[in-house]
Amino acid sequence: MSKDTQPHLAERIAAVQQADSTQGLLQATQELAACADPAAAPTLVEVLGFNNPGAAVAAVDGLIHLGRSAVEALLQLDPENYGARAWAVRALAGIGDVRGLELLLDALGSDVAASVRRAAAKGLGQLELAGLGEAAQLQVRQRCLAALLAASTDGEWVVRYAVAVGLESMAVDLPPDRPQWQQARDGLVSLSEATEANPPVVQRRAQLALSRLEPQ
Amino acid sequence: MPSATASRQAGEPISEQEALRRLRQSEDPSQQYYGAWWLGRMRSQHPEAVPLLQAALRNRRPRDPGAGVEENAVARNAARALGKLAPAAQAAIPDLLATLDDADHGLREAAARALGELAAPAAIPALCARLAGGPAGAGAQLPDTPRLAEPCEALLEALGDIGIATPQVLAVVEPFISHERPLIRSAAARTLLQLSGDDRWGQLLVALLDHPQLQVRRAALMDLGAVGWRPGFGAIAATLAENSLKLMALRGLVERGSGAPEDEVLLACMDSLL
Repeated sequence: MSKDTQPHLAERIAAVQQADSTQGLLQATQELAACADPAAAPTLVEVLGFNNPGAAVAAVDGLIHLGRSAVEALLQLDPENYGARAWAVRALAGIGDVRGLELLLDALGSDVAASVRRAAAKGLGQLELAGLGEAAQLQVRQRCLAALLAASTDGEWVVRYAVAVGLESMAVDLPPDRPQWQQARDGLVSLSEATEANPPVVQRRAQLALSRLEPQ
Repeated sequence: MPSATASRQAGEPISEQEALRRLRQSEDPSQQYYGAWWLGRMRSQHPEAVPLLQAALRNRRPRDPGAGVEENAVARNAARALGKLAPAAQAAIPDLLATLDDADHGLREAAARALGELAAPAAIPALCARLAGGPAGAGAQLPDTPRLAEPCEALLEALGDIGIATPQVLAVVEPFISHERPLIRSAAARTLLQLSGDDRWGQLLVALLDHPQLQVRRAALMDLGAVGWRPGFGAIAATLAENSLKLMALRGLVERGSGAPEDEVLLACMDSLL
C-alpha cells in the first residue's frame, strides 16, 4: 500500500462503518473491495457479520480477490458469529490457502447449512499445496480426502455434487498410481451410481469427472 | 396450523404403523393432521395409506375459524400427501376432483397441485372450468383479502404438469400471461412453455428474472427449472438471487431439459456457483 492511497482507503473504510442503509452498505462495500488493498481485509471481514447478504457477497468477492493476504483477517473471525462464519467459509474456499484447512474441514463435517457444506467441499478440493513439503502435502491431502469421502453420503444432493467437484480437482493434480488418486476415483464411482436417493445431476457430474480423469 | 400437541409430536420420530393409527382415529384431528403429513413426507407405500388419505378428504368440513386443527386442515394435508404418493395414488383422483369444488381456497389449491403431481388427464376439464373468466374472473382479487378468486398458480401449474396441450387448454391459460401479478404471469409462462415448447414463453420467464422483487425472481428461477429450459442458463446464473436457488434451477435444466447447451456447459455453470 503506498502512502498516497491511505487517505482514500481510510475514507472508504469509514464509509462502510458509517453506512446507514442496506443499499448504502452494499455500495460502500463494493467500493472498498474495489481498492484491492490488503489493509481493507479486516473491514471486509467485519461486513460478513452485518446480516446484509448483498454486502456480504461483495465482501466475499473482495476477500477472494485479495487472496492470501486476506486469510489472517478471516481466521480472526469470532467462531460464535454463525452468519459471518458461513460467509468466511466461502471466502476461504475461494482463496484456497491451506491455513483455512481446519475451518473448511469443520464446516463440511458439521455445519447445519447445506450452502456452507457445499462451499467447503469445493474448497477442500482446491487448496493450494505447492508451498508445502512432500510429507505435509500428503498429510493435508489425506485429511481433505477423508472429509470429502465422508461427505459423499451427505443427505443433500448439492453437497454430494460439490464433493464430486472437490474429488475431481484433488485427483487431477495426482499421478494415477497414487493410492489417493484411487480413493478419489472410488468416491466418484460411488457418486456416479444410480440409487433412489442420488439424483441424475449428481451422477452426471461424477461421470463427467471420471471421464476427465480416465480419458478413453 | 398444527396445534401445540401436534408440533410437539412432530419432534419425535414415529413409525409408519403409528402414522396410520393416528390418521385412522377420529378423536383428535391434530393427530390426523400429523399422520397425513408423515405418510406423504415418508412416501409411504403401505396399502392402507391411500385409502385412509381418501377417507380424510371425504371427511372435510366447512371451516370453523378458531377451532384449531380441524378436518379441513387434515384434508389439506391428505391432498398434499396424495400428490407425493403419485403414481400410487391414482385411485384418489375422483376424491381430489370432488375436493377441487370445495368452498375452501387452500383446499382447492392443495387438490389442484396433487392432481398435477398425479398427471391426471381426467382433471383437465375441471381445472379449465376453475380458470374460466381469465384474469378478470378466476384471477380477480377477492375483497378484503390478498387472495384471488381461485388458486390460479396451482391450477395453471397443474395443467402444465399434466402436459396435454389441446387448443382448449392453451386458450384457457394464455390470458393469464397478462395478469397484473408477476407470480401469475410466471406460472402461466411456465405452463405454456411446458405445453408448447415455444421459446417466447421462456423469454418471458427470463425477463421476470430481472424483476425488482426477489420473490418474483425466485419464482421465475423455479419455473425455468421445472420446465428445464436450457437456453435460460446464462440468465439464471446472472440473476440476483441465492446461489442455492440457481443451483436448483440449473439442476432442472440438466435433468429435464434437452438440446443446447450440452450437459458439460451447464455443469460448469453449476460448479461456479458452489
